[in-house]
Amino acid sequence: MSNELLHFEDFAVGRKFFGGPYRVTRDEVFEFAREFDPQPHHLDEEAAKQSMLGGLSASGWQVSAIAMRLFAEAVILKTANLGGPGCDDGRWMKPVRPDDVLMLEAEVLSARQSGSRPEIGFVKFVWRLCNQREQVAEFVVTTMPARRGP
Amino acid sequence: MQWFEDIAIGTKRDLGTYTFTEDEIIAFAKKYDPQIFHIDPEAAKKTMFGGLIASGWHTAAIWMKLAIADRERARREGQTLGRSGVSPGFEDMRWIKPVRPGMTLRYTSETIEKIELKSRQDVGIIKTRNEATDENGELAFSFIGKGFVQRRPAT
Repeated sequence: MSNELLHFEDFAVGRKFFGGPYRVTRDEVFEFAREFDPQPHHLDEEAAKQSMLGGLSASGWQVSAIAMRLFAEAVILKTANLGGPGCDDGRWMKPVRPDDVLMLEAEVLSARQSGSRPEIGFVKFVWRLCNQREQVAEFVVTTMPARRGP
Repeated sequence: MQWFEDIAIGTKRDLGTYTFTEDEIIAFAKKYDPQIFHIDPEAAKKTMFGGLIASGWHTAAIWMKLAIADRERARREGQTLGRSGVSPGFEDMRWIKPVRPGMTLRYTSETIEKIELKSRQDVGIIKTRNEATDENGELAFSFIGKGFVQRRPAT
């Protein structure tokens, strides 16, 4: 792997980056849910079967955090980046279950230079977090500021 | 039981406050968001943020934690909320101000829209505007949340 950082100019519209695989464990589903999202469908097998999710599932916020981890490894930690302002859209489309194996596809949707700061640009990505059944479990649209190249 | 039909647009709930600690910020980020300004207090000083800040997903997860605690509080007061606890997603998530160790955020949640579904009769979706403000009352974090809420049975 090159040690060269990625810059704004490297993010051509349509370019894809890939992250994962990430295996979700039962223990981490419980651990996250106990701390941040203690609802029965994240903590109790029997109650989860009766819920809208039809079985034990990871908190959506944990799913987002896993997608973030994979995006950091695939893109951010290799980029002259500047933090993130937010996400336009986030959709939890399929439950994420213990032992699911997740892969991230991050595609550049658009890239625009900053009007006020000529040294940076904004790269808009769509994340598709897929499970081993090739279903999109989570869909996110997010913007990453990046420095322009030297 | 508070059903979908009972929820009024404009209702705002104070979800309470949370103080972020350095240890929690680092532990969350090491697992889910290992950028240098989230995991290394010394190295973070040399970044644009000038010090350690929480992952935006950590700030969001604390909203969930406080929302669940609020629901439990309502239940103890005899007011069962008809929320399923299941959500189809979120919109317009904005990380506006850096959240630093020792900062206390106050979270609120206001119902802004109710959506009836053609595809199913048993639940509707409520949209909420959720905000977190710092000690000076300045907005630090916001997003639009969506949640499935049970509809009143037609008996």
